[in-house]
Amino acid sequence: MATVVQETNVWARDALLNGCQAVAQAVRLADVDVIAAYPIRPYTEVMDALSKIIADGELDSEYIVADSEHSQFEIVKHASSVGARAFAGSSGTGWMYGFEALVVTATDRLCPLFVVGNRALDDPGAFGVEHNDALALRDMGWLLCWASTAQEALEHVLIGYRIAEDQRVLMPMALAMDGAFLTHSQHMVKVPSQEAVKRFLPPYNLGKRRLHPDNPVSIAPQVNEDWVMELRRQNWEAARRARTVIPKVYESFNDIFGPRYANPFFDEFMCEDAEVVLVGLGAVAMPARTAVRRLRERGKKAGYVNLRWFRPFPTEQLRATLGRMKGVGVIDRNFAHGSPDNGGIVVQDIRSCLYPLTQRPAVTDFIGGLGGRDISIDDCMRMLEITFEAAAGKQRDELVTWIGLRE
Amino acid sequence: MIKRVEVNYRGIFQKNLGKFIGGDIVQIASRMGKVAFSNGRYSDSPERNGIPCKYFAFVSPDLSEEELEAECGAKLDIDEADVSVVVDDTMVKGVEPWGWHGVRAINEKVREKGCLLVVSRHGHDQLLKFVPKKPFSYRLALVEGDASFAGLWVNKDDLTRERVLGAIAAVDPGIISIEAVEAYLLERTKERHRAEAARAAYDATLRSTRIIKAGEGADWAHEIPRLPTWKEFEDLGVAVPAVPRGFKMGPRGQARNDAFKRGTTKSHRPVVRFDLCIKCTLCWYDCPDECFDPTDDGLYDVNYEVCVGCHKCAEVCPVPECIVMVDELKFDNNDSPWEHHKRDPQGYITWAEDKKGTERIHYPHVTGTGMEIRQGKFVPPKQEKGGAAAEAKA
Repeated sequence: MATVVQETNVWARDALLNGCQAVAQAVRLADVDVIAAYPIRPYTEVMDALSKIIADGELDSEYIVADSEHSQFEIVKHASSVGARAFAGSSGTGWMYGFEALVVTATDRLCPLFVVGNRALDDPGAFGVEHNDALALRDMGWLLCWASTAQEALEHVLIGYRIAEDQRVLMPMALAMDGAFLTHSQHMVKVPSQEAVKRFLPPYNLGKRRLHPDNPVSIAPQVNEDWVMELRRQNWEAARRARTVIPKVYESFNDIFGPRYANPFFDEFMCEDAEVVLVGLGAVAMPARTAVRRLRERGKKAGYVNLRWFRPFPTEQLRATLGRMKGVGVIDRNFAHGSPDNGGIVVQDIRSCLYPLTQRPAVTDFIGGLGGRDISIDDCMRMLEITFEAAAGKQRDELVTWIGLRE
Repeated sequence: MIKRVEVNYRGIFQKNLGKFIGGDIVQIASRMGKVAFSNGRYSDSPERNGIPCKYFAFVSPDLSEEELEAECGAKLDIDEADVSVVVDDTMVKGVEPWGWHGVRAINEKVREKGCLLVVSRHGHDQLLKFVPKKPFSYRLALVEGDASFAGLWVNKDDLTRERVLGAIAAVDPGIISIEAVEAYLLERTKERHRAEAARAAYDATLRSTRIIKAGEGADWAHEIPRLPTWKEFEDLGVAVPAVPRGFKMGPRGQARNDAFKRGTTKSHRPVVRFDLCIKCTLCWYDCPDECFDPTDDGLYDVNYEVCVGCHKCAEVCPVPECIVMVDELKFDNNDSPWEHHKRDPQGYITWAEDKKGTERIHYPHVTGTGMEIRQGKFVPPKQEKGGAAAEAKA
């Protein structure tokens, strides 16, 4: 994990913030012009915190409470098209309700930033974390990454805008964070100074694409079969270019704020000499790292890969790291019923990514923590042990193991 | 080493109190050079009025933030607590936060030599009538005071927050020291009386702490429910069987949800003088939780297992002194009061009056026209708060 480096003029203060409040502070620092809000737990506390920041006179921004997520997302899409830096967020089924607007934001190459407080999809009603809401973006031409601490959440709003608004990228950005474990956990967070943020994050400039009386354009006309394929192709190009822009943005971030991120795409915990690793997104990194430490004490060469970026998928980088392993266990806090291995979503991408290698690690999948159920340290140790077994060639009936399920 | 604190609080009414205490611990511990963070038990949300909820704080003098988070960060509840704070003493009777969780003991998480820290005006012995036995010894400490109740967006600034911080420093200085509590309060608020309140509570708590021996305390009757396996959902899926329909006259005559009784939500219970009842039906009609069971003689028995202590019945009852809200800790069972009344009418009156005592709980009304109705009578609002509506009525 990255550590915070103290630099007097870069960090303004230490503050007690939960994940939602940390995101709100970053939105303030990013000097966002338009915020659209509609409540759904656990995202709600982001809009609560932002309304307070605006009421306190700390941010001059249009704050619009919409009538639904669909309108909420449309508002920021349009705001983004006229050159306003825009912000919205949601969770779970609310997020899904606004999906039409999310899809067109990407095809229009507009670049607002959204926070997704991960929440289980109904039914049944549940407030806890599950990643299907944010992962539904995976094929839509979005930037999608996970924060695993409040500090990372704050920093990734800034990093996210910088990447999304880069002229080579111009893609909408979704910053996902685990409901409860991150959104509602209070930590001491280092808040950057406004000057440092200004140095890192230039003003949003949409250039020739900007909708303005001085620059009359028509966005997204009806084109049918004549243009669609070519337009999809330039979307593809942008997503591919994003892979090279992302490391440059982290370099710039590290230059200003200290060496915060060794690897932009994922954190490697005890991976250097590891034989078997677990891969996961978000807060499961917490128990997983402790489990790795405990297995190391027993002389087992375990490691953990905390996958931060899911879109664009860090194919080359993961291939390099995971390709060295004998076994890879993927923790899917999501479901993809009826998918090729009846596993989760993440395992499919990891297996595809490793397929071209001549020496492939054994890949096994775990579904756990659905609906906010805890994944304990013991659960993580069990997953590591199963992955060790798979690496040793032990045949299993199924690729997928459900963890923490009452059988 | 990790220190774990839990704050047991009443949903909504004490939501901010719990969160503030958790956050204060993090900030004070950080100023002492420790690593700390705080979170709520997410399953408690969305909170309902009075439902027992929890807030946590985790402190370590030697682990890195990453290690502390790894141990404590992605868990919904804790396995054991160094200090279990209780900011409404009626929760010592047990806490049932949601359905299928069961009524849990208030000291369930207190570890050996740990501390149960209760804000209360009752003594140790009175609380131990309800707090169940543990197989090892721990400590029971008291902060003298009433439950501090406020609302969704507000915190009642009655120094409970500061006093609890002082008391935590007294029962476990390994979490936060009293000097750090004082310095933090002074610096944050610039108000000396807050630091003094923490120090006074610290001193009083040192004096009030008592060691509870293994096996000391109440017998515990509640079991933890077994949760269904996935195969048991194969038949109905997300649909769950409804509470069976059914009704008969008399105590416990209505069919109710056995999986969630909600009775641990109450801080006060209504005591009914059946001999004064005019059978107007209002308590039964207005009760939001359908706690009143009609009886053959036209009276309404109260089911205290499901009553949440909302005060509605006492507010609407038109007969003075017929329904009065009484401190929940004065009762040691949920027996039917109507059966008691039928068995021994005169004895019941004596019993009820003894419980009721002479003090009455009155909350100022917070909404409406500026008038309030209490036991059938309009109560004129206080002049300074009445506003235009009150002036018009006057």
